[in-house]
Amino acid sequence: MARNTPTPGQKISYFLVILLGVFLLYLDINTNTFNGIKNGFSSFKISSSYLLKKYSIDQITELSRLFKSKDHLSRENKILKEQLDQSYLNNFVISREKSFFYDHSSLNKIINGNKFIESYSLAKLKSFNPNIFNCCDKHRMYIEIIQNTNKDIKEGAVFNETGIIGQVVNNKSFYEVMLLTDTKSSIPLTNSKGDFYCNASGSGASDYITCSYSQLVWLDNHELGEKFFSSGLGGIYPKGIEIGNLESIKIVDTSTTLLTIKLISNPLHSNLFGVIKL
Amino acid sequence: MMYSILKKLFLIIFICYVEYILAPGLIKLNIVLPLTFLAYSFYIYRSKNNIGPVEAFCTGLFIDLISNTFFGHNAVLFCFASYLINTYANAFKLFSYLQVCIFFGVSASAYVGFTQIIINLYNFSYLTLFVSTLFNILFCISIAILSVYFPSLTNRKI
Repeated sequence: MARNTPTPGQKISYFLVILLGVFLLYLDINTNTFNGIKNGFSSFKISSSYLLKKYSIDQITELSRLFKSKDHLSRENKILKEQLDQSYLNNFVISREKSFFYDHSSLNKIINGNKFIESYSLAKLKSFNPNIFNCCDKHRMYIEIIQNTNKDIKEGAVFNETGIIGQVVNNKSFYEVMLLTDTKSSIPLTNSKGDFYCNASGSGASDYITCSYSQLVWLDNHELGEKFFSSGLGGIYPKGIEIGNLESIKIVDTSTTLLTIKLISNPLHSNLFGVIKL
Repeated sequence: MMYSILKKLFLIIFICYVEYILAPGLIKLNIVLPLTFLAYSFYIYRSKNNIGPVEAFCTGLFIDLISNTFFGHNAVLFCFASYLINTYANAFKLFSYLQVCIFFGVSASAYVGFTQIIINLYNFSYLTLFVSTLFNILFCISIAILSVYFPSLTNRKI
């Protein structure tokens, strides 16, 4: 049987609906009007998947583990892995103690009081979309705090054992982390000599950030492979942390140069993160 | 009625999930396979009645919500696809399977292009677009071949 082609009235309704869609799209791209709905849905999705996993897969896994002789070993292995990850995080902060804390007596307090864990919040990965991370401009992940310093960690720097990966931008139910590679992200950088400063933005591609500067302001004395560090300006990221190496130099026009920096940190490296609020 | 809507919603969620699982692997090969879009286009194509703009719009909005993209992105493209397929539904009967497959493959690549412009403007890649077009056409052809050899797969009612 033949299908009816859209009548003029239906064509008008198609046109109106497409117009409405374009308006919604414009509104969503340029404002944060629908962020509440999206965050609400994200937290619902994470919570429900967590609950589903807890009461279905985890139960079955736990049951099967009971029947296996290697159960004890695997649990011990898991605990040891978590402790190892945690110690990597601790070492990361200790090795950069002078630049991680404004108050330089922090390390002494930590060593004497053996309260290292209290100096930063420990977080676990809740949700991460590798699909968006590998394809698109918006690079976000959700984390859950498992050991807190009782500080408000919004705008805190997030790191794992490979280095700094981003900052906390939203703290509704789960903490949303904007990764350094997100196109809206910005991190103040300096070079190893300390004679060059710039704000590096996310490139939208995994592993890379870009930094553009005017040759009229800064000298053009960069070399490929040059190391870049966080400058500490802006008060979000600690000073002196290695961020990445210079991958390419592109002269955009007579006054602008674009540096592409390959990050040394990898957000996919582990499920455990540290959050530090300066 | 309610059962049918729920069935469609679960199907959409399932296809979205499959797309979500496949995408990280395919993107390494510069391929974007818009499985949800193709599935919905196929649903409109196979449907005996015209799919209205409101239904296409609501489905698109729901996919925007579950796939965490900008609101309106899928809604607009689904409406547009629905309009095109409804308009040419009778003309498709004159075309060969190959021509229909090319139409769906090209419309999927148009979807990929618009999506890249909207959510991945900074890294827009013609290579991805070109490879995705070829892949999507081949994908549609392979589905058509499957439907010829295994008609029970595609004759199911949604």
